[in-house]
Amino acid sequence: MDASDRRRQASAAASRWFALLQSNQMRREEREQYIDWLRESPLHVGEMLRIVHVHGALEQFNLWSDITTGPKSAADDDSIIRLERSPVTVAPLERPTRYGVRLAACVAATLVLAVAFLSLFLTRGQVIDTERGERREVVLADGSVLQIDPETRVRVQYSAELRRVFLERGRVVFHVAKNPLRPFLVRSNDTLVRVIGTAFGVERRLHNIVVTVTEGKVAVIPATLATAESSTDVPARRSQAQTPSSPSSNGEVFLSANQQVIVQASGSAEAVHAVDSHQALAWAEGRLIFHNDTIERAVAQFNRYNRVRITVADPTLAAHPINGVFNASQPNSFIAFLQSVAPIRVIRDGDQSITLLPADTPSQ
Amino acid sequence: MDAKRRISDWFRQWRSPLRRFLGKTGVPRADIDDVAQEVFLRLMRYDRTELIENPQAYVFKVAANVAVEWSLRACHKRPHRDQWLAELTAAGQADSAVLLEQSYAEIKRALNTLTPYQREILKLFYTENLQYAEIAERLGESLRSVRRQFEKSYDRLRQELDPELLGVFTHGRE
Repeated sequence: MDASDRRRQASAAASRWFALLQSNQMRREEREQYIDWLRESPLHVGEMLRIVHVHGALEQFNLWSDITTGPKSAADDDSIIRLERSPVTVAPLERPTRYGVRLAACVAATLVLAVAFLSLFLTRGQVIDTERGERREVVLADGSVLQIDPETRVRVQYSAELRRVFLERGRVVFHVAKNPLRPFLVRSNDTLVRVIGTAFGVERRLHNIVVTVTEGKVAVIPATLATAESSTDVPARRSQAQTPSSPSSNGEVFLSANQQVIVQASGSAEAVHAVDSHQALAWAEGRLIFHNDTIERAVAQFNRYNRVRITVADPTLAAHPINGVFNASQPNSFIAFLQSVAPIRVIRDGDQSITLLPADTPSQ
Repeated sequence: MDAKRRISDWFRQWRSPLRRFLGKTGVPRADIDDVAQEVFLRLMRYDRTELIENPQAYVFKVAANVAVEWSLRACHKRPHRDQWLAELTAAGQADSAVLLEQSYAEIKRALNTLTPYQREILKLFYTENLQYAEIAERLGESLRSVRRQFEKSYDRLRQELDPELLGVFTHGRE
């Protein structure tokens, strides 16, 4: 089923819902179904707005006197499915073929449903799991690119109407292919990042989530919103002007290029701050940037990117400050740099283990 | 409560900010799909029970709010705010007669693709302000079948009406 078929179906359903709303005969189950239908897809919302637009045009139309009317004819018969573009009179002889058409339509619809279910089942979620030292760049079906850091787990769930990525741990830089009819959402620990066509990074840490934008815009929706927004006056409050980067009254945060926000596990978002996004997301390029960090923290980062395990065996050395830009996959150049700025002794145990000690430590 | 009045009120709430926003004069381009996407995301975050209690009001209210916010944001971004507002008003006045005529012609054309009976039903609804139940009674039909006719009519008009030619209804006069 292609996009225009989906739209066609959505607009038929929207007409049905709109007529039902207008009839003022809506039972509770129908209201439930209507809301669920609307919340299924932005396409449904869009078609609903379009039908309302048609209604608005008819309300403003003032040449009804020019419109000729007539009694019910065969073309208005409810039991006949009209496939033609314009109404036709139905001759009795045509009936068998019409039933044939109906049967074919039923078979086709069943097939379409079966295929839809099957593809839904197959695309339920693709999991990408990286190990220590493993970095991956994955191109998704829609052309979006994910740069996945080591020790990261993401689940990709694409449907016809939504692109969803769940960040279960680690960090990822997203380069999202723009498609206004198919929103791209990233969810991490209930924080939702909605993409407006852009490149940005999401990092899931132990106690918070860091979102950094390099290009375009995203909206960050902290977890608390999902439960807090139940009162009817919420939409009214939203009508106040918002600057794109400040948290709105309801906690939704808009970020543009070179901005970052940290969302705490409690769901509260800190103030948006400016960052050099290329520096903040340098890890995606395999670069590690340390600015007033400690050797201990720098070593921990290198260990995530490499199979070689570096250990700092002295607390004073571990707390020593370090600044610089390094290639994440070259721990040896990092160690050479350390040796150039501090008196360090390096003990290698095979290929996989390196221990750092102050140079004045006596040999064993 | 009068169903038709109620729908119209909600619709008016929704329409005027949206039409201002979707107007073409100097306002950044956006279309119903963009608005719909935003409305959709907001609907997902609202409490389902709340939405079910008042399904009509919500959708239109949210849509109206999206449109208001976006046009405000667009104003903030544009350095010559007063200028485009002025252009918008001027365009609305100068072209409205021509645009109105064009729009009416388009609606008339689209209506004529319906069956005479469907036109009859719409006419009763839009000119005599009858409710579905009253129309059913007058025509000796079931409510369900009247509703089906509305359904089919809206669906057909949705496909037929050219949104470009309805320009006058998306900005200008209010």
